[in-house]
Amino acid sequence: MKFDILIAGVGGQGVVLASRLLATAAMDAGFHVATAETIGMAQREGSVTSHVRIGNEVCGSLIPQGTADLIIGLEPAEAARNLRYMRKGGSLIVNEHAIVPSTQGPVKYEPDRLIGFLRDNCQDKCQSMISADFTRLAKDAGTYKAANVAMIAAAAGAGLLPFSEEYLWGVLEKLIPEKHRDVNRRVFDRAIESIPKDEDIRTKKPSMEGCETNV
Amino acid sequence: MPLSSKRILMGNEAIALAAMQAGVQIASGYPGTPSSEVMETIASHAKKYGIYAEWATNEKVALETAVGAAYSGARAIVTMKQVGLNVASDPLMSLSYIGVKGSLVILVSDDPGPHSSQTEQDTRAFGHFANIPVLDPSTPQEAYDMTLLAFRLSHEMETPVILRTTTRVSHGCADVITGDIAQVARDIEGFVRDKRWTIFPKLTSQRHPLLEELQVRLSDRFSGYFRDNSFNSISRGNSSIGIAVSGVSYLYAKEATRDYPGTFSLFKVGTVYPFPEKAALEFLEGITDLIVIEELDPYLEEQFLQLAGRHHLNVRVHGKKDGCFPVSGEYDVDVVIDGINRALEGSDEDVPALSHSSPAINPADVPHLPVRAPTLCAGCMHRTVFYAFKKAAGRLRSKQGVDSVFSGDIGCYTLGNAQPLNMVDTCLCMGAGISIAAGLSHTQEYTSGKRAKQVAFIGDSTFFHSGIAAVVSAVYNNADITIAVLDNRTTAMTGHQPHPGIGMTAVGSPAKIIDIADVLRSCGVGMVRTAEADSLDECVAAATESMQFEGPSAIVFRGRCVAISKGAGQYVIDKDKCTRCRLCISQLGCPAIFSVSSGLPVIQDTCSGCDLCAQVCPSGAIALKEVSQ
Repeated sequence: MKFDILIAGVGGQGVVLASRLLATAAMDAGFHVATAETIGMAQREGSVTSHVRIGNEVCGSLIPQGTADLIIGLEPAEAARNLRYMRKGGSLIVNEHAIVPSTQGPVKYEPDRLIGFLRDNCQDKCQSMISADFTRLAKDAGTYKAANVAMIAAAAGAGLLPFSEEYLWGVLEKLIPEKHRDVNRRVFDRAIESIPKDEDIRTKKPSMEGCETNV
Repeated sequence: MPLSSKRILMGNEAIALAAMQAGVQIASGYPGTPSSEVMETIASHAKKYGIYAEWATNEKVALETAVGAAYSGARAIVTMKQVGLNVASDPLMSLSYIGVKGSLVILVSDDPGPHSSQTEQDTRAFGHFANIPVLDPSTPQEAYDMTLLAFRLSHEMETPVILRTTTRVSHGCADVITGDIAQVARDIEGFVRDKRWTIFPKLTSQRHPLLEELQVRLSDRFSGYFRDNSFNSISRGNSSIGIAVSGVSYLYAKEATRDYPGTFSLFKVGTVYPFPEKAALEFLEGITDLIVIEELDPYLEEQFLQLAGRHHLNVRVHGKKDGCFPVSGEYDVDVVIDGINRALEGSDEDVPALSHSSPAINPADVPHLPVRAPTLCAGCMHRTVFYAFKKAAGRLRSKQGVDSVFSGDIGCYTLGNAQPLNMVDTCLCMGAGISIAAGLSHTQEYTSGKRAKQVAFIGDSTFFHSGIAAVVSAVYNNADITIAVLDNRTTAMTGHQPHPGIGMTAVGSPAKIIDIADVLRSCGVGMVRTAEADSLDECVAAATESMQFEGPSAIVFRGRCVAISKGAGQYVIDKDKCTRCRLCISQLGCPAIFSVSSGLPVIQDTCSGCDLCAQVCPSGAIALKEVSQ
């Protein structure tokens, strides 16, 4: 068994914490794990990725291109930037809340068009694709900072992880300081509830409501 | 803690726990990505287990402190990154002649890529240069086990041992089986006077042959490890193609060749220096093509080339030198597949090329994406100071014709180079901002007609690391510079380690505060003042005054690091007052502010309330958001 997860986002979004949570839960579930995380200079508002490799044997921590089973994109452009890692039949879960760099290069970032691209291209080529504003979901539940927790909870709720959501919550309880536990539990539960249970999740129409880039 | 437990650990944490299992008594280091968590982990457990742990002011001091401890028979570890080893190289080169008592492990983390370093240098080459054995783990588990070996080896051979890691081992997390940690033994013999501790030319001439002889003994010993040690191994394949690997490349090679089990012979070496020649020679029997896979320097490749030359072996060596593998940058499975395929093209064996997995989405179909360069955090005090100097320098340029170069330094403030601030013209290494500014100032009289006032930016931790010596030299030689110390009360870039300006030790005990402004005054800097970084006006006034001062001047800008302190609230834009001048965006480059298609700036939730944009806004359209009850 092998299961490769790539988490992509912007420095400060909690990419490293998300990968630590997934890896620890996987280890608790009895698997070998290996992670590669971005730490240091690049973390300051730069593009960051974490690779989480789960399996029965020890392997290198960097996922080869075209082999990731799941991509968790905490930001649409960062999800798109890392699509080359997704295997045929892999899954994509993407946060529609865009982070627009204040100083942009020659390319103007138009998040709604990019989300359109992801929807048009990935829904057919993915096992499943979930697209929603997880930052808004987390903010409504108490803190926008917990979008990372919302996304991994949603992945668990949708059955996209090789272990159950109980392992994940068990780790959250251990790793998150007590004063932040209640709000994270709320975010966790709401994210799981947000996943439709009885229908094909591919048919879930992503909502653009609250995407601040469309103001 | 159970005798043996399995848990998820970062490679750096695994090294720290292994050092503690090995009974480390003294630990010293200087923070540097990707090495910092080794000391941080030891420091966090130090009081419980009775270990002495400290952050030193720089790597040379850290190494010398650990050396002193080892001279008295202690088990010591010192930690740094690869660039830090350059700072420590002076004591290191002499230390290999002298050797140690007790044991001394030098943890050095290399950074292929690089992810957060000035260089891509290879510590294996440094070990070779300094004649110090180097161990090179490929996983966090090996890092754990090799740390135990390093302490044993150092004690037995009376030599310092380098444990060299790379980013994917240092910062990768994996499930690691660890052993029991006991209270630290109080069994240090103490310093025993002996001529061997005082390096004189006579001692050097006596010791050098012994040092060379030790390399041969170690090489033989490491060759022996291929029989009884999992760090080194030889596996035979059914072709005449061999693969030699060290470090994390071992895992990439294994994965790249997964679909060809039993085809290639594999030489995995964890004890990289001294090169285990006898084992390597044995491995080369029957090999016509050797593919060497290693990040950074072609260290193993050169060792194999020498060996093949000396023994007249008919083997083609493929690696960086014949263009099969990239000479720089980080490797991964895809890079390794391409490299092996290039090597196979040149071999006589009929082994089919390895194939890549093709992604679900063709990368060429993905639309152009925004560039997202690292930048100063929203609310970072450094942004205010850089902007203040930009304004002050602009005025001096237009009114008095004074031109300035801004010399940066290593730390968060290196990010002052990002647009639109663009305030870092030079950056070389820790502490060099001040010396480079001094050097530029001494060219003044040779520069026809131009007036200049050179400005050096330096952080608080870096000031103690290597800034002070540069200040002394600048004052002594009357350099016409302004030193701006960006004091955010922490070593922010590497993960918020304390330093002598804070009043706290590595283990959280109170300590005497070394006041940076006092140090500058006692070094003889002509004008020294402090400024609060949360007031742009105060910063501009201080910057202007110090740049107009003749001779060395300095300002300590005091503020807080937003990553560890609570923000003051969030600012909002008043739609009606905003004139769409976009000054808040075009001047500051704050990641919390961006504009939407209507041209109206939007302040995001990441705003930490530093107030700089409100101070810059000419129409008073930015104000603190009222919190609804």
